[in-house]
Amino acid sequence: MMAATTSTTAKLVLLLVLFAGILASFALYEPRFLQPSLASTVLQFASMLALVALGQTLIVLAGGAGIDLSVGGMVSLSAILTMMAMSAGVPEAVFPLVPVVIGALLGAVNGVLVTKIRILPLIATLGTLFVFGGLAMALTGGASLSGVPQWLVPFGRGNLGGVPWHVLVLVVPAYLAVAGMLTFTPWGRWFYAMGHNERAARLVGIDVDRIRFLAYVLSGALSGLAALVSLAWFGSGRPNIGQNLELESLAAVLLGGVAIFGGAGGVLGVLVAVLMIVTLKTGLQFINVSAVWQVGIVGALLLLVLLVDLIPIRRRS
Amino acid sequence: MTDVPFLKARSIGKQFGAVTALAGVDVDIRRGEVLALLGDNGAGKSTFVKVLAGAHRPTSGTLEIEGAPVELASPQDAAAAGIATIYQELALSENLSVAENVYLGRESVRRILGVPILKRAEMRRRVDELLAELDAHIPDPDLPVGGLSGGQRQAVAICRALNLDARLVIMDEPTAALAVAETRKVLSLVRNLAGRGCAVVLVSHNIADVFEVANRMVVFRRGAKIAERRRDETTPEEIVAFITGAHPSLRSLEHLG
Repeated sequence: MMAATTSTTAKLVLLLVLFAGILASFALYEPRFLQPSLASTVLQFASMLALVALGQTLIVLAGGAGIDLSVGGMVSLSAILTMMAMSAGVPEAVFPLVPVVIGALLGAVNGVLVTKIRILPLIATLGTLFVFGGLAMALTGGASLSGVPQWLVPFGRGNLGGVPWHVLVLVVPAYLAVAGMLTFTPWGRWFYAMGHNERAARLVGIDVDRIRFLAYVLSGALSGLAALVSLAWFGSGRPNIGQNLELESLAAVLLGGVAIFGGAGGVLGVLVAVLMIVTLKTGLQFINVSAVWQVGIVGALLLLVLLVDLIPIRRRS
Repeated sequence: MTDVPFLKARSIGKQFGAVTALAGVDVDIRRGEVLALLGDNGAGKSTFVKVLAGAHRPTSGTLEIEGAPVELASPQDAAAAGIATIYQELALSENLSVAENVYLGRESVRRILGVPILKRAEMRRRVDELLAELDAHIPDPDLPVGGLSGGQRQAVAICRALNLDARLVIMDEPTAALAVAETRKVLSLVRNLAGRGCAVVLVSHNIADVFEVANRMVVFRRGAKIAERRRDETTPEEIVAFITGAHPSLRSLEHLG
């Protein structure tokens, strides 16, 4: 059994302090950073990461060394295949559903590899990351596919009182649904039980493989939703739109206080971590730090939080 | 004992390839009685328990529950027949509460628009009752199991079995890793369990524990049942002699074998 690390609440407080620190630093360096449109900008850019990180949360929570490195590939390929399906004559009316269905099918591939063929998730999803991402590039030769229905574009760019539509319609309901599932239904108890002690979960009759399979399918479907947001936002399918989402979503999950071995954590912390990462990136852009450095700084932040999390364990042992 | 035993095992045998793990074992298990299974490592007691738990299918022999023949092909079959097994590792999830563990995998829910919603208050109340009945000394069913002592964890596992309406509870070395005070607590839990009319099968290496709590003892040696004694008609010395093979009645057998 792994030692319990800092409690979920303590982690959330730590995260909020860090978030406030980041906001304060940027505000001190460049007071114009804290303009009213900041929240709106951050939410617009956070939407895709938030959806993908939600799926990643479920997979990590379910334990068994669960990880989904293929989320970026699934986002890119769902976007591309959706555009190809449109040009092949799929009716426009069902457009929003197409990437979700494609994403769920891609997630099911991961689910089969992990729960039926029993390949270690890290390896299985690293493989599918290259397969899905590579396929998206190969199918398009690297070019964007246009032809997103015009009626969808306001959904990708418009907002209500400063909150983007896709955040209101997709992100908030998705987080509420998963939080409710984890807190109020037997499924939630099973996620935490199997994530913490898989053998015990199997002995009491929990269908661990089925739940884990569904987590991968759900992660795929959420990646499909992220692809939908990108299509509505940019008006075209980009074959590299999912790039870096696997690492950023994993960073958000760990910063958000989900135990990497599973069985502990919740979605609220992950949502805060997503907003923090996007705020950090937005701020770095605002003060003209190159995008190359942004990835490194997110990584350093992740290491910092994990180190702080380890302190109580070191003290005990 | 005029009533029909809860479970009747007759000439149970189990082969693993060429190895005979069990041969011709007859055992009756009665309600309200603690039956101890004793024997050296590899004597066959664990194999026999696994047959009862549905984890192994016997190669020969029959099982009857309340007079009716049964096939226990899987742990699910055994559970359906009212047999609960408490494994040494207890199968508890330390990150969940006592009540959540007792109900894990079979939570009570109410359906709202088809979505199953946990009935937390009801489950907590039921677990509180069970804990009180067993006199388990766990103050709050909302405590996480990770913070409980070994004996308290045994109590949670026993509650779980009771909540499954088990009529036969099999306990595998329940006191193996416990301190003295904890052991006493668990033994009194075992007695309370039998007092509620459950049949209890106790697998143990500890002769003192067995003599404190068991009504009957069955000794296994080399895959066979070599002795069955009521507690009031035997002594620890005799049982140890059976286990080690030093008992006079075994000498001739061993030489023949």
